[in-house]
Amino acid sequence: MGRYSQLPRLVPSSRELISRNKMVELKFGRHTVEAFEGDTIASALYGAGFRIFSRGFKYHRARGLLCVSGNCPNCLMKVDGIPNVRACLTRIEQGMKVEHQNAWPTLNRDLFSLIDRLDWALPIGFYYKTMHRPRALWSISSALIRRVAGLGRLDSIASESLPIEYHRFQQTNVAVVGGGPAGLSAALAAANSGVDVTLVDEQSTLGGHLRFENRMRTLGGEESRNVISALSAKVEAHERVQVILDATVIGRYEDNLLGISTPGGLIHLRAQSIIAATGSLEVPLTFERNDLAGVMLGTGIQRLINLYRLKPGQTALVATTNDQGYYTALDLLEAGVRVAAIADTRPEFRSDFDAAVTLKGNGVLVLPGHAIVRAEGTRTVIGGVVAAIEADMPTTKERQFDCDLIAMSGGFQPANYILRQSDVGIGFDSEFDEPVPISSSTAIRPAGDVTGFHNPHVATLQGRLAGLSVAKTLGMQVPVDTISQVEVELRNAETTYRDKVQVRPAPIDSEAGVKQFVCFCEDVTLKDVVQGVGEGFADIQTLKRYSTTTMGPCQGKMCHKRFVEIVSDQTGMSPDEVGSTTARPPIQPVTLGTLAGPGHMAWRRTPIHNRHLIAGAKIIETGGWQRPHSYGDPHDEAKAVRERVGIIDVSTLGKLDVRGLDAGQLLDFVYTHRFSDLRPGRVRYGLMTGDNGTIMDDGTVARLTDDRYYITTSTANVETVEQWFKWWMADRQICAHVTNITAGYCAINVAGPDARATLAKLTDVELEPKKFRYMQVKSGQVGGIPAMLLRIGFVGESGWEIHVPSEYGEEIWNALLTAGEEFGITPFGVEAQRILRLEKMHIIPSQDTDILTTPFDISADWAVKFDKGDFVGSGGLRIAKERGVRDILVGFKMRGSAVPNDGDAVVSESGLPIGRITSARLSPTMGTGFGYARVPVEVGVEGGVIHIRVNGINHLADVTLRPFYDPDGVRLRE
Amino acid sequence: MVSQLFSRQRFWRKQELSSYYDIVIIGGGVHGLSTAYYLAKFDKDLKVAVMDKSYLGAGASGRNTAIIRANYLTPEGIAFMNASLKLYEQLSGELGLNLLFSQIGRLDIGHTESTLFWLRQRSEYNQLMGVESNLITPDEVKAIVPEIDLREGKPFPIMGALHHPPAGVARHDAVVWGYARGADRNGVELHPFTEVIGITKEGRRVTGVDTSKGRVKAGLVVSATAGWTSTIARMIDIDVPILTYPLQAFVTEPLKPMIDTTISSGELHTYIYQTERGELVIGGGVDHYPTYSHKSTLHMLEELATNAIRLLPQLRGAKVLRQWTGICDMTPDYAPIIGPVDGVDNFMLNCGWGTWGFKAAPISGKTTAELILTGKVPELIEPFDLNRFYEGRLINERAAAIAAAIH
Repeated sequence: MGRYSQLPRLVPSSRELISRNKMVELKFGRHTVEAFEGDTIASALYGAGFRIFSRGFKYHRARGLLCVSGNCPNCLMKVDGIPNVRACLTRIEQGMKVEHQNAWPTLNRDLFSLIDRLDWALPIGFYYKTMHRPRALWSISSALIRRVAGLGRLDSIASESLPIEYHRFQQTNVAVVGGGPAGLSAALAAANSGVDVTLVDEQSTLGGHLRFENRMRTLGGEESRNVISALSAKVEAHERVQVILDATVIGRYEDNLLGISTPGGLIHLRAQSIIAATGSLEVPLTFERNDLAGVMLGTGIQRLINLYRLKPGQTALVATTNDQGYYTALDLLEAGVRVAAIADTRPEFRSDFDAAVTLKGNGVLVLPGHAIVRAEGTRTVIGGVVAAIEADMPTTKERQFDCDLIAMSGGFQPANYILRQSDVGIGFDSEFDEPVPISSSTAIRPAGDVTGFHNPHVATLQGRLAGLSVAKTLGMQVPVDTISQVEVELRNAETTYRDKVQVRPAPIDSEAGVKQFVCFCEDVTLKDVVQGVGEGFADIQTLKRYSTTTMGPCQGKMCHKRFVEIVSDQTGMSPDEVGSTTARPPIQPVTLGTLAGPGHMAWRRTPIHNRHLIAGAKIIETGGWQRPHSYGDPHDEAKAVRERVGIIDVSTLGKLDVRGLDAGQLLDFVYTHRFSDLRPGRVRYGLMTGDNGTIMDDGTVARLTDDRYYITTSTANVETVEQWFKWWMADRQICAHVTNITAGYCAINVAGPDARATLAKLTDVELEPKKFRYMQVKSGQVGGIPAMLLRIGFVGESGWEIHVPSEYGEEIWNALLTAGEEFGITPFGVEAQRILRLEKMHIIPSQDTDILTTPFDISADWAVKFDKGDFVGSGGLRIAKERGVRDILVGFKMRGSAVPNDGDAVVSESGLPIGRITSARLSPTMGTGFGYARVPVEVGVEGGVIHIRVNGINHLADVTLRPFYDPDGVRLRE
Repeated sequence: MVSQLFSRQRFWRKQELSSYYDIVIIGGGVHGLSTAYYLAKFDKDLKVAVMDKSYLGAGASGRNTAIIRANYLTPEGIAFMNASLKLYEQLSGELGLNLLFSQIGRLDIGHTESTLFWLRQRSEYNQLMGVESNLITPDEVKAIVPEIDLREGKPFPIMGALHHPPAGVARHDAVVWGYARGADRNGVELHPFTEVIGITKEGRRVTGVDTSKGRVKAGLVVSATAGWTSTIARMIDIDVPILTYPLQAFVTEPLKPMIDTTISSGELHTYIYQTERGELVIGGGVDHYPTYSHKSTLHMLEELATNAIRLLPQLRGAKVLRQWTGICDMTPDYAPIIGPVDGVDNFMLNCGWGTWGFKAAPISGKTTAELILTGKVPELIEPFDLNRFYEGRLINERAAAIAAAIH
């Protein structure tokens, strides 16, 4: 436990991101750390003297800062309960709680690091080769592995309480990804040509790598940082440019859709054209102990120095394969760090290479033709050894240097993810030692470092050209001269650059040590990769999966380049033949919360819902609606319907209005029954089947006039049925109009012996049996409200479905309750309805049917009219008819007191499953268990006996094909 | 065992393509490779070649989420998948490779009465057929997954679950490599990066294949190409009732252990488990439209994330590391198609694996090999012939498939 304040920072600079007069305090474990506003967690901790930031995934080796750009796993920490936060990208806030992860008991003394000593027993794929004999060994080992694996722990409460993020949907003419020299130039050129530009950058300020680049990098004779800030100002002020900062493109999806993660939520940006000015990533070298704290990428060091003004160490050793190492060395010198030596893999460098000349002039030892072979130290760097290269391999001609910092540059991996996601061709450029785009399209164009040219001048020209070209493609007047002038200038600049570029990949020497890490995320070493190739995993895709290289938190950003080099070296294939792994989204990790957005939950409730709540109903969710299950005892409710009168809110029924000259023809085609001959004023039951003749839905069809039908569907299916109608209307060129009016109408079913008397008190419609027959529809007033009355009987009693405009639903409900008071009217819920309809043997589709049930299987042959001509499902139904019924839906009544559950099995005498209980209840009328069962037709016969397994015990039940209640339908017609 | 740890033997050899094979298997995924493995194991004299247009396991075999379970709905499905599960239990030993098959169990959560109804049907049939599978209460769910939220009034309440203890997860790539290695050691030739571009026929008799590396004659051609089955079917002019749908999934960054089983919710079209490495694997239903494209979409990623959070709200802060897409050959009844095709001789289909192929690979390969060698259809796959679609003998496995988002 301690209090840490900042060690002295370097003299202030105009480029720094910190505010030196504003202090912020954060907690790091049990310590309190004071730092500057603008610091990231990483810079704050580094500035307070911390060097170890994390522990490796497999060996638990100590790890320090590496890339300082959010592209490596080395600074993953738990922040305010959320694990795997990139400390180098996260700006500090007062009171922030930062904890280390994957180490115990402390980051500095992690007991799990003992695993590091067992490396000899843990070669590539060791888990595939061990722990499976005897079989039980794996269940023990896997449980143990599960306990120690993983990086951070997710704090449930902190995670669940993260603020809701909304999604934004934007469109633009041109999306420019990356705000470095190329992106800024592209944005400006495009915007000046008259198109709208959206510029996205993941940093908080524009400028790309020039924000922290050494001052010797000039642009048109001026210090590049001055050029870039002038350019940034122009872009930010341009009326046609929208700049989005702190915004990470997580992927380029089909049709130029960019997913962009921002602190304000996810943006869907649809662009007519994209300019990928995404830059490149410096990557590590492989040498023994290249993962010690203090071994850093040169650009990481430059970020610490120039953006946070940290002095990264006392003495540095620089190892490089290209020019970049020299610029890092210059910055180190300026920051007061002694540069012990520069080991450059290139045998010689150009005499006009300013940076090298300056360094030599400052007395820095430059060693051409040398590679670093190992770092010294156990957790942090105390020295480094370089060796002369001969015949592409390091020799024993070694030199040792004491140092506390190693700056490495293994070249650049282009950040070409959105290009690869757009199927832009990528080919290997051996002069650059990098994969570069070799094709482009009008949809996406590359510009800047992502093309392999690491030169700000080339980048600005490429950007300008891309901006002008895109504007031209989008129909803007761009003078041909302007474009060709830029083209010429660019060609010259590119040639000049190419003439001078020198890169020499580092030697690959797997014998030089067992701790040469290729993949820092997964702790995969050079030796592992080489062995994997030797075991036959010679293509990069299988080798990736076998070794897990590129599969960790950085998704290959640090290791992909080296991985390809090693496979190429080991197999003799060219880098193009080796290819690359797939650039899968997201390009940077993104939280589930960001992706989910607000995740609105829509509950559907009927207009009468509030009445149900007041009446104390138990609400359940069914078919997307909230409905009353019951208001008390469902059996009492069922009894009330049988003996007196009950009402149920059936507003959830799907309701379709079908009109048109061919409306009848449409219904004939989509239902198995015939409806064109239905007389106005009559109602008919309808079954709908799919192409194969199996039941999709059922409902009632009421013909209101010659050219108008009113249809109800089951609650959950109305959208499907509506689309089904529209599909076939288009397919069969039927003239009809379908309107889904489900939400427009409330429906209440009043049923029972006293239903007529109750309803008569409210309506002028004549309800006597002879005036208003079963399966008729009439319009009239109910309680002074225009209503449609359908005389149907799902629950098996004489009753009416009253359909009224939704706004009157509650009023009618109340009026019915009042009118029925003298008869003892009772509201009933879904449960009582299910019991009642089951007694009457009325099916509920998808409860009593499944995707294979035909109308014949539910004994509804009468509802299938083959003589009407072709209709949906007729082919399948003919086959089914010919084949005969195999499984039939039958009623059953228990012999004993057991009541089966929905879903219980019907078993054969030998105890094998032969059928299923689709619905079962205790009948209030009969006092026994009963229901529907789907059984083989051989046992599904009137008077048959079946065995039903209830809670593990078989019980006998009698089969019937006739409804349990009012089998002849007398009561319905009364 | 220790000697094996340090073995650097190649998993499989590089082969030159011959001009004739007794059997050519198109598709170097788990089904093609397991078929080849069992063929060669039962009859070492057969000349068998497996061809794949890409690397071994490049298709659905390397893209599935590696869940193995037998808690299906129909007697046909349960018997078949249970036989496969039993083979998986012994497979690491048989192939001499640890396939990392961890039997961490499976919970199918029910949020409504209608789902519980389907779950009960499965549990009853499972039990009657000797598969351990029980309907359990919300409290019992909580005991297995302490992370689950049982608070009242929350959308998608936990009303119960189907618990299937023998289910588990294996390393899917290892299954590919294990079968490939086993096949190779029994004399099968493996030809990755060898694309079949045509099938040669004489009359109704298939005589071989045209590949990107030349023409090859064959005594029998087996198509085991999952999502591309319809493209193979076109080569020999047959109709298969298959629509190819993409299926997407993602993993999160590695987290310390929080879920020790596989959890699925049919209503939310989501399933979640945590790998031994700590990554959460999250998948769901197939895409809404058929296509052969392997392109991942932002829309599905958002949908998967939304549904996962509805099941486990504490996953809000977990970070997606990588999303990917495979393609699935969906049949109308969510059951596979294995066997010969009427009117085409010397040809056999092994397809219709939709979203359930990985778990079936061992038994699929074994029974397909038996069928080829004996000419007799093994009882386990008798129900899965192509003719069932013409004769109205479909098998309803829809309710047991988490991917049942379509239709």
